[in-house]
Parts: sequence; C-alpha cells; structure tokens
Amino acid sequence: MSPTDTPDDAELVRRLAHLPVERDTAAHYRGYLRRELVMNRCDDCGFWHHPMRPMCPACWSWRVEPAAVSGRGTLYLCTLLHQGPPADGVDYARGPHPVVTVQLEEQAGLRFTGTMVGCAPDAIRIGMPVELTWIERGGCPYPAFRPAPIAAGA
Amino acid sequence: MTVRNPIKDRVAIVGVGSTGFTRTNERSALALALDAATRAIRDAGLGAHDVDGVIAVGEPGAPSPPALASALGLDTVKHWTRPAPVILFAIVDAANAIFAGSADTVLVVSALLRPRGTSRGASVDPLRPQGVAAVPRVPESIALAPAYAAWASRWLDEHGATREAWARIAVNGRTNALRNPLAALRTPITLADHAAARMVREPLGLLDMDLPVDGADAFVLTSAERARALPHPPVLLHATATGMVGENTEDQLASLARHGQHVVVEQLRAKGDFWIDDVDVYCPYDGFTVIAAAWIENAGWCRPGDAARFLRAHWVDSESRVLIRGRVPINPHGGSLSEGGTRGTGHLREAVVQLRGEAGDRQVADARTALVTPGGFFFNAQGVLLRRA
Repeated sequence: MSPTDTPDDAELVRRLAHLPVERDTAAHYRGYLRRELVMNRCDDCGFWHHPMRPMCPACWSWRVEPAAVSGRGTLYLCTLLHQGPPADGVDYARGPHPVVTVQLEEQAGLRFTGTMVGCAPDAIRIGMPVELTWIERGGCPYPAFRPAPIAAGA
Repeated sequence: MTVRNPIKDRVAIVGVGSTGFTRTNERSALALALDAATRAIRDAGLGAHDVDGVIAVGEPGAPSPPALASALGLDTVKHWTRPAPVILFAIVDAANAIFAGSADTVLVVSALLRPRGTSRGASVDPLRPQGVAAVPRVPESIALAPAYAAWASRWLDEHGATREAWARIAVNGRTNALRNPLAALRTPITLADHAAARMVREPLGLLDMDLPVDGADAFVLTSAERARALPHPPVLLHATATGMVGENTEDQLASLARHGQHVVVEQLRAKGDFWIDDVDVYCPYDGFTVIAAAWIENAGWCRPGDAARFLRAHWVDSESRVLIRGRVPINPHGGSLSEGGTRGTGHLREAVVQLRGEAGDRQVADARTALVTPGGFFFNAQGVLLRRA
C-alpha cells in the first residue's frame, strides 16, 4: 500500500474481493491501493466521467485515460443508513452510517459517493465543503470524505 | 419536437386479474402468475385459444413467457418478450405489438415473489428461491433503492421543505387501502405515526417506503375494434410514455429539475387530448413517498417543492386523505406504500377498475379519464393517459 503498490489484475481482484473490480473499473479500484481517487478523463475533449466507461460520453472518443481527481468538492446528497449491507468497520447498531455524494471541483456535475468521517452524522449538511481522505476496508485503503477547512471551488 | 401518437385510443385493456398482495403467501411465483393470468383472461371474456401474445415482466424469479405459455396451454404465440420491471414497459410493448400486427390479444403478467434472504418472512420459507437483493453490495453507493433517500435529502434542501408532504402521501395511501381488499396493509396510520416511525435510510423512514410483498397482476390487451365485442367497457390507451435523461446513473443525475419524470410528462402532454385538469383518477407511483411528491410536482399539480402545500390544501381532514378539488383521490387503492410494492401494476389495475366503474365503495363518481405515472427518477419513469371508451 504505497505509490509502488501495483498488483496484477488477478491479485487486484483477490485483494479487493469486496468491490466490483471488472475490466472497465479496474483502474479506479487500483487507484485505491495508491490512495488516489481515479476517474476517466477524455484525452480528446477533456471531459471527466464517472462511473468508469470505455468511451467518452461527451465526444465518443475512445481515448479515455484514468487520472486522479483532487477529491475536493461540495457535499451534494446525503443519506444516513440505519440499516444496510454489511461491511468491514460498519456497525449500524452503533449509529447510522453516512453515505454522501460529493460534487467534485474538477467539473460541474462530476460526483463521487462515499462515506463521511470526522463529522457527526447529524452535523452533515448539503453544501458543506469536503475533501478526500482514506479509511481501511478489507485491509486495503478505501475512499471517504471529511469536512474541509476552507470552501472548495466546486 | 414533433410528437406522433398514431396509436392513440387504438389499443384497449380488456381484462385485469389480481391475486392480491400479501406477506404471508405460500404459493410459488408460477402459481401466482397463473392465478392472475387466468383471472385476467376470463375477465376479458376470453380463453387460452384467444391469447397469441405473452409478456412476462422480468422480475427476479418470475416465470418466463415460454413457461407461462406452456403452463396456460396456449395454442400459438406470435409475440413474447420479457421486459424490465415497472409495468408500463410491458404495456407499451403489448400495445405496440397489437398496433403493428405482431399479435392480436396479448397477456401481460407481473409476478412478485420475495426471494429468501430479503425479508424475515421470506427467509423462513425453505421452498422459496434464493434471490439477489435490489440493493448495492457496499454501503457507500446510492445505486438502486438508496438513491431515493439520497435525492430526498436534496429535495428537502433545495426547497427548504419538511417531511410533511411525504407524511400526507403515506397517510393518504393507508386510508385508501382500507377500502381495497387486495392490499397488504389495511390498518390506518396518522401523520404522527409517520413522524414517529423509525428511520431506515434517513431522511426516509419506515412509512416512506413501500413494502415487499408476494402477488401477481395480469392484464389482457387487444385492439379497440376487438374490444368492443368483449364484456367490459374497454379502457383505451390514449397516450403512453417512458423516459429517462442520458446521464441517469443515480449519483450523476444532473438535477431534480430534469429527469425521467420530466421526459414522461412532456411526452404525455404533447400526445394527449387531456391533462390533469380533466383527470378523474390519478395514480402516481409511490414506491417511496418522495417519488409521489415529485410526480405530483412534475405533473404540474403544483410548483416544484410545493407538494406539502398542495396536499394540505386538498386534504380532507374528516377522511384523513387527499381529494383534489374535493373529488379526485390520489392512489385510491392505497398505492405501493399500502397495497404493497407492485412496481406499478396496482396503480394501473386500479385505474382500469375505476374507469370501468367497478371499484365498489372506493369508486370515483363518473370516472372517465385516468393518469397513471409509474416509476421513479432514473431509468423507469413512465406514464399513461387512459380513457373509458
């Protein structure tokens, strides 16, 4: 789990067995091991998109390349799960598990969904500036958000 | 945008059949499907030899069209498909097949059987198939059902709204279900009950969510010409629409201001000769209360964010339900929240029964037109304008 942590595809699927690692999404999940939030960006028109797709939905170019986003943005949607799928480190009996969708500063409407840490669930507000952080899930880094000290530009 | 509607009033729903919906069923999905199918075919005054099209909604574990055709002993099938759930995909396919001449009389069946592992009641039944739950495999996703809780937070925030509109929708549905013998939940609730119900996916609580049930609905469709010779007043498909916007991934949808519901409403308004001011029966989908609130706003009954004020203005306190302009109920069968999560079949069946004048003590007086809008925001928004021939 370092910038040089680059397992092959079989090893990636084995280590991230809790996640849907497939042909089009492997680069995104491989980024987790480097603590980078990776999305696809079009080499021809510059459009970011997520979830990962093999072709740019804006210009139909196949020259899409995985690239890391800053992870800074604004909280756009929030639900507090009082029950839900089981997951490592999630205990619904101890309190609701926040799931937030963040509008990223890279591009209007580009969003990523994760959990929120460093903030009481009842203090989470739509519109609050947030930044990327990393928690652990299944022994591997897993993306999350936390309140950002200053307003992001999203 | 040029809108064509050559099929207007040319195809009719001539038969309906329902098993009713329950959490205590001990029949198989095939048994439920056959029960609803035979009821609908008999209701249409027809038999196995009259049906030449079979459409079975692709619900998990539901019988396929070939399995249904075999079990029903049909003679010859000329059109069969297995469309995605939410009922109007199947109804639109049936209507198009009839209008195009692919088949003359089409059976549409939607059978629901809760898989083992998705509810306590279903899990104790060893003879029930194991299914895949309709929720994501990690908590940190708003794909599928959690999407509505996430966007409900946005609806509250953008409009400075409270949960009042959702509460009125929930109470209204339960009140109406008291008069629907097919409904799974038939005990009244109050606005206070809604406020006190436990949160499940906050801001949506237990009474904001429909309940998983077992049961089946079936419909028989044929051409308006053939329908005239059958026993019931034909219910004509006046206009239908399905819709989504291009980016419909749950967390990437651009905004509440334009999604599948808007695409549907635009089409129906352009295709139909009547709209909400002339609608007698109104059935907006209510798999989650926030979906019904959005349909009410997006259909134009009120402005976006104003559902609470609209429902309060048309609330009949003595009846504990909504009557728009003192006359038009919302989901007179109780909706998915109380009849059970039928994926829109209940809404459509109720409209047909009402337009025939067969709704008994929940009958809307002189019902001649209906608007039914199944589905949510992302990839299953749909609508149909119906009228009695």
